[in-house]
Amino acid sequence: MADTTNQRALDGFLKAIERRALRMTELATSSREEALDLVQDAMFGFVRHYADKPPADWPPLFYRVLDSRINDWYRRRQVRSRWIGSYLRAPDDDDDDAVVQAPDTADPGPLLRLAGSQAALALDDALRALPHRQRQAFLLRLWEGLDVAATAAAMRCSEGSVKTHLSRALTALRRALEDHQ
Amino acid sequence: MNEPDPQPWLADVRARLDESTQSLDAATLSRLNRARQAALAQRQSRGLRGWWLPAAGLATSGALVLAVVAWYPPGHLPAPAVPVRPSVPDAEIAADDGIEFYQDLEFYAWLDAQEQDSGG
Repeated sequence: MADTTNQRALDGFLKAIERRALRMTELATSSREEALDLVQDAMFGFVRHYADKPPADWPPLFYRVLDSRINDWYRRRQVRSRWIGSYLRAPDDDDDDAVVQAPDTADPGPLLRLAGSQAALALDDALRALPHRQRQAFLLRLWEGLDVAATAAAMRCSEGSVKTHLSRALTALRRALEDHQ
Repeated sequence: MNEPDPQPWLADVRARLDESTQSLDAATLSRLNRARQAALAQRQSRGLRGWWLPAAGLATSGALVLAVVAWYPPGHLPAPAVPVRPSVPDAEIAADDGIEFYQDLEFYAWLDAQEQDSGG
């Protein structure tokens, strides 16, 4: 009985966050297909390891798993880029961390350009242009609504780092979106 | 869950991000749904397996006990093997090849006496 209730709660939780999780991952990978695969992996990992944790802990734990999957994806892509010799560096505040150096250079694509408004596209472009850690801090903290401690837990960094990443993200985003306010 | 924006322009950003989640196509939503169901099914099957394996182990043990009882019904169980203590000390067994000497001891004594008589 308790198991059924827990199963229902898990279903509701995943249903509530899956779309935002997909959009976050899509902004990180610039690929809908890759994002779907990573979100599915994150769901499996979350259910396997954390389903028995209290529901109040689920959001940071789920995003922690998802962040780990995205980091793995960046690493794999970085290895591929080295092999084909087309690795491009992106400016970041964490020069030592190869993962957060992952560039966001992909174009959203012609279909998305035609379908979306200019402002929405500008927002997407501005978010994609952010370094991964800054974008995660911004989306988890100000869109998903996690507090600083939960965001830090999801990103596996200190609360001070979250504040620094968020501050830089806000500055960069505001500058990029000034024309669309 | 969301808190008041520290800067007003962020409300617009969040609204646009929310809009983007509402405009996902049917194929994407279907894949998300399938992914969620598969993740949850994995947990259910694991839970079922967790219950089933100990039960199967118990049943197998019970079947083995029944098989032994059926093969050796009570009263017909073979007597346990009792170690038999050897009646002859090991040293005597080791000297087994000298038994004939002890059996003919009187003969050797008589022979010795004869030799002494003839020599003396």
